[in-house]
Amino acid sequence: MATLSTDVLVIGGGATGTGITWDASLRGLDVVLIDRQDLAEGTSGRFHGLLHSGGRYAVKDPRAAVECIGENRILRRVASDCIEDTGGFFVTTPWDDPAYADRLAQGCAETGVDCEEISVAQALREEPRLNPQVSRVFRVPDANIDVWKTVWAMAHGAQQRGARILPYHAAIAIHREGDAITGARVRDARTGEESEIQARVTVNAGGAWAGQIADLAGIEGVRVLPGRGIMVAMNHRLVNTVVNRCQMPTDGDIIVPIRTVSVVGTTDVNTDDPDDHTVNQNEVDLLLDEGEKLVPGFRQARALRVWTGVRPLFEDDKPTGTDSRDVTRAHALLDHEQRDGIRGFVTITGGKLTTFRLMAEETVDAVCRHLGETRPCRTATESLPGSESGETYRLGERLARKEAKLIDEQIICECELVPRSKLEEAISRTGSTNLDDIRRQLRLGMGPCQGGFCIYRAAGIMQERDRLSAKQADTSLLDFLQERWKGEWPVLYGDQLRQARLDDWIFQGVLDVAHLPR
Amino acid sequence: MKSELHFDAVVIGAGMAGLVAGTRLAQGGARVCVLAKGHGSTHLAPATIDVLGYAPHLVQEPVAAIEKLVAEHPQHPYALLGSELVGEAVGWFADTVAGGPLPGYTYVGGLERNQMLPTAVGALRPSALVPETMAAGERDQLARVCIAGTPSLRDFHPSLCAANLAAAGIEARSVSLDLKLERADMSTLGIARHFDDPTWRRQFCAELSLTLRAEEHVGLPAMLGLTDPHAVLSDLEHRLGRRVFEIPTLPPSVPGMRLYEILRAALRAAGGRLVLGGEVVGSTRDGARLTAVSTNAAGRDLSYVAPAYVLATGGFASGAIELDSRWVTHERVLDLPLRGLPADGGPRFVSTYLDEQPLARVGVAVDGDLRADGTDNVFVAGASLPGAAPWREGSGEGIALASGYKVAQMVAGRPQATQEATA
Amino acid sequence: MTDLAEPEFLRESLDHCVKCTICETQCPVSNVSPLFPGPKYAGPQSERYRVADDPSVDLSVDYCSGCGICSMVCPQGVKIAEINAQARDKLKRQKGVPLRDRIITRPTWLGRVGTATAPIANFSLGFKPARVLGEKVLGVHRDAPAPKFAGRRFSRWMKGRTSPKTGRKIIYFHGCGTEYYEPWEGEKVVAILEHNGFEVVVPKQDCCGLPLQSSGLFDDARKVVLRLARNLAPHVRDEDTIIVGNATSCTLMLKREAREILNLEDDPALKRVSERTYDICELLLELHDRGELNTDFQPVNETVAYHAPCQQQGQWIGKPALELLALVPGLEVKEMNARCCGIAGTYGLKAEKYDIAQAAGRDLFDQVAASGASTVACDSETCRWQIAAATQRPSVHPIDYLHRAYGLDRNGA
Repeated sequence: MATLSTDVLVIGGGATGTGITWDASLRGLDVVLIDRQDLAEGTSGRFHGLLHSGGRYAVKDPRAAVECIGENRILRRVASDCIEDTGGFFVTTPWDDPAYADRLAQGCAETGVDCEEISVAQALREEPRLNPQVSRVFRVPDANIDVWKTVWAMAHGAQQRGARILPYHAAIAIHREGDAITGARVRDARTGEESEIQARVTVNAGGAWAGQIADLAGIEGVRVLPGRGIMVAMNHRLVNTVVNRCQMPTDGDIIVPIRTVSVVGTTDVNTDDPDDHTVNQNEVDLLLDEGEKLVPGFRQARALRVWTGVRPLFEDDKPTGTDSRDVTRAHALLDHEQRDGIRGFVTITGGKLTTFRLMAEETVDAVCRHLGETRPCRTATESLPGSESGETYRLGERLARKEAKLIDEQIICECELVPRSKLEEAISRTGSTNLDDIRRQLRLGMGPCQGGFCIYRAAGIMQERDRLSAKQADTSLLDFLQERWKGEWPVLYGDQLRQARLDDWIFQGVLDVAHLPR
Repeated sequence: MKSELHFDAVVIGAGMAGLVAGTRLAQGGARVCVLAKGHGSTHLAPATIDVLGYAPHLVQEPVAAIEKLVAEHPQHPYALLGSELVGEAVGWFADTVAGGPLPGYTYVGGLERNQMLPTAVGALRPSALVPETMAAGERDQLARVCIAGTPSLRDFHPSLCAANLAAAGIEARSVSLDLKLERADMSTLGIARHFDDPTWRRQFCAELSLTLRAEEHVGLPAMLGLTDPHAVLSDLEHRLGRRVFEIPTLPPSVPGMRLYEILRAALRAAGGRLVLGGEVVGSTRDGARLTAVSTNAAGRDLSYVAPAYVLATGGFASGAIELDSRWVTHERVLDLPLRGLPADGGPRFVSTYLDEQPLARVGVAVDGDLRADGTDNVFVAGASLPGAAPWREGSGEGIALASGYKVAQMVAGRPQATQEATA
Repeated sequence: MTDLAEPEFLRESLDHCVKCTICETQCPVSNVSPLFPGPKYAGPQSERYRVADDPSVDLSVDYCSGCGICSMVCPQGVKIAEINAQARDKLKRQKGVPLRDRIITRPTWLGRVGTATAPIANFSLGFKPARVLGEKVLGVHRDAPAPKFAGRRFSRWMKGRTSPKTGRKIIYFHGCGTEYYEPWEGEKVVAILEHNGFEVVVPKQDCCGLPLQSSGLFDDARKVVLRLARNLAPHVRDEDTIIVGNATSCTLMLKREAREILNLEDDPALKRVSERTYDICELLLELHDRGELNTDFQPVNETVAYHAPCQQQGQWIGKPALELLALVPGLEVKEMNARCCGIAGTYGLKAEKYDIAQAAGRDLFDQVAASGASTVACDSETCRWQIAAATQRPSVHPIDYLHRAYGLDRNGA
């Protein structure tokens, strides 16, 4: 059995775990990152894409607001290529308590969140689809962040510094020798092979799954209550500015424009299972109704798909009353040496995407304490690969890139303008035959036709390139079709239903994929 | 001035069903206007005539299978049409193609036996009647085959196609030719325009013949010319010294565009009017009688008045039937009652993609004469009809042809006279 | 509606796009040139990447000729050509407009100058060195079809005569082509209308703004079309009076394009004009449908090819000229089944687009050659100039045949 040895083993390849890997690599530590699935396939990849200004927390949770605005400013610098500076509005609609507006302004002033009231006319000039009945509008520095791009940029940056990134490697056992955690046994989900990883410190960055990982290490009482929320992606930019309702944060009160779509979110339902992907129709209806309040005509607009994200809400069943857990209200860092007397193990959970870098910094600080070393954090100043120029992303970039090679470049996914060269490069780089992995890297199949045209193309290119067997290629194609359908059918109506029927025609009529040789 | 135009019949929709209905009516002497929002399914579909491919298992003999289906599923459109009428319509269609504007271009096959033709992914798909350009791909004739494509065509992947054909027991391999085309994103249509050029064709054959082995048929994506495919096929088979066939692939469909031209020419030759951009946006009724439909022509709405109307607008795919965001289903053109809806509160879709979706068989409710429920003078044809799952069944063109044919008889009100016109 | 609501309405139509490729199959430009990536790409697809205040990055949208076929054939109701037009407008606002486009898009100005100096102007247009210079300095292709100035103006002719007072008034919108280049077409329209009992009124009028609009000069186009609407609107106050035009692209501009593309949906004068405007063949066929058309046609023993120009088809009324011509005894009409002649107003004049326009028209030119017809009938003047130059055959408005069949050409009318 293969054995790896490292300074730090990070379990969980979401934004936080990958951020820890990047942070630790920058501090010169040797790191192995594992995830049972692909990077950012869990909670991180399943949110609406908001880079908080802090405005949403300014009244309810001032400390979180302070963290958000701080991280917002840092990430705009170091992860500029992953961030689009959309700006954000808080708007008072006829359904909102008008008194909240002044509380928001006050809260922002107290927490240092830039917030400027603008005229309704100005807001409507900038966002013509916004509900003209809004009475007050505040501008805040909300933005969007492409989390897959961010996570893979950190992963590549870490790899360049020697880190080993192992997606599809699940921890099946966590080893404990005496009062110390010494590493884990992992299984490669694609080959079934098992191997050992010895680590001086193991980090549990499992997010909503952190309780399960803590259980594996034999540590009791790490309870993460998964809060399930759905989001719906609309076909295009109904707004180009993040639009929040000016009220206490609640269900369906935000539209985030990200990449080519706008996402309305979210709902919040407690669940027992972090892998619970249920979508209830009443939740969909709620989001559509709330969307209508912000953007009249929302229900006539085209919904592409829905997905479920699971927030990790941390509850410690083992309050010690001492300073054993370094906790903000936003996230929880458990130093198990302090909490449980177990060395070499740290758990980070809770929190929000916007503060992933801060969470990583605090976690690696704790790791360094375990290692007995002092190594300063550099992630607040070191740019991620691709973000060196400091220029934030613009939506038109893919269009501009294609325009430069208008005649010479073949586009495979037309909706998301994914060229053949990028697809081939991603296939080689990931070595994956799972088109869903490629999707997260390139946005393949994420546009209006939901793979109707590109799934066959991508499967064909992959089959030829990697000399896949017919069976492997057909599996890639059929799995991706099923994966796209999963997010489509619970919100399938109107224009998208017409699209789905055309796609059916292509796959079941023209190609007849239901009768491939078996 | 009142913008109102009068006809003997107005057909709404210019897919296969609408064009067949319009042409048949015009051939019977009626003044017909076909209104179409835009081009329809013809430009997208493989242009094979699929009559019944799966019921639900693979169908060898469509006629026999239709009769069995009719007995078991009285709600199926074929139960209202009958296999005899399907045969008549298919025969009329084959004659129309043969007498159409593409010289020498024919369809081959019939209702006795399905032909199994490769799809672009390499599955084998059953069709009753196929363009002559596809005929040599028939499974029984296909011992050895070379599937050829070009990287410039993102819509066809010869290696994947050949891999699946090989898995089905055919000795299949693939080649990929660099055709030095004018852009990296070519469509089958763009290449079809090249195939129409004899000089280009000669160069293509010279290049391809270098890669071929003995006794191999050659399968190419469906792009063997738009205006004279018969000549293109003959030329290729002559130059390559072997059978050549087309494989339908992603839209646009070159054979489908040929089919549209054939049907459009038949309509025009019979004196029918065709209005593109003529989306029906309004209608007036007098009780059960539809008295006018109006289109949003530039500047103002135009009324089309006729004693009878044919609705051939399609189903969910065309948007003629819509499920709205409040989960209510409508027929959008005339607000006609629907049939086949899932029971209240029942699921509209199931989570497994390849299973039949509960909403799949929704259509406009009709009586045995294909007359829309609640109307005296609206007849329904094609994918607007309830009870079928055309892609799953491989029945779309059979239903479109036969129902288009039948509604023309119903509108004319004198089936005898219409049959005489055919003879 | 806010002043941005209309472009938003056009943009929203991208939601209907299912990427089906039907528009791509019919685009006259992308089918012959890789420089234009096609209507689906430039329209609903690229629109998802456009942010109002961000810079335009897709210059290729300028290669769209604006023919509008994509919107007509789209079965899903996507306003493809209109989305492209909006994108072109933004591009021109950001990148500036060549002097050439400022000149050739002003037929009124050109016409006035050209009419006054007709001998010199026509000589220059037919004189190769002058055209080469024109191409170098202005970017107007040296071989682009150039109509000759008539040297007289239709409106002057009309001023000198009065339509018989039948009490059945009709407003004639003749457009710039008739005014400066082909006044005889206007004379025929008047004769045909009078032959059918109309009292023809020709109000003061000038350009409809279409050339400006199709070159992406929206602000200028708005001013021009609104001026025209203000001139015409007072004449159609009473319910029964209508406007008829023989320049099919200009009638389409009045009917729909100005309202939709230029975001003038709310202008009451334009709305009234728009709802009352008829294309001449549309009007005559409607009269015929009602049994009101004078059908005392004499035989015209000839074979004519008929090409329905894009802007006529864009009226979404079918091809009325075809059925009108079919009424003329002896006349054999061959329907051309090609998309576009390529010229698309001023598109094919531009040096960088000339070759594309010629290639786009190739199918039509070949069909004309194969048809055996001696003449090509077509409803749009710029298309006629293109067709005549490319096919070496005369190209006339379909009403020419009606005029002859009525025997009006022999009446000295």
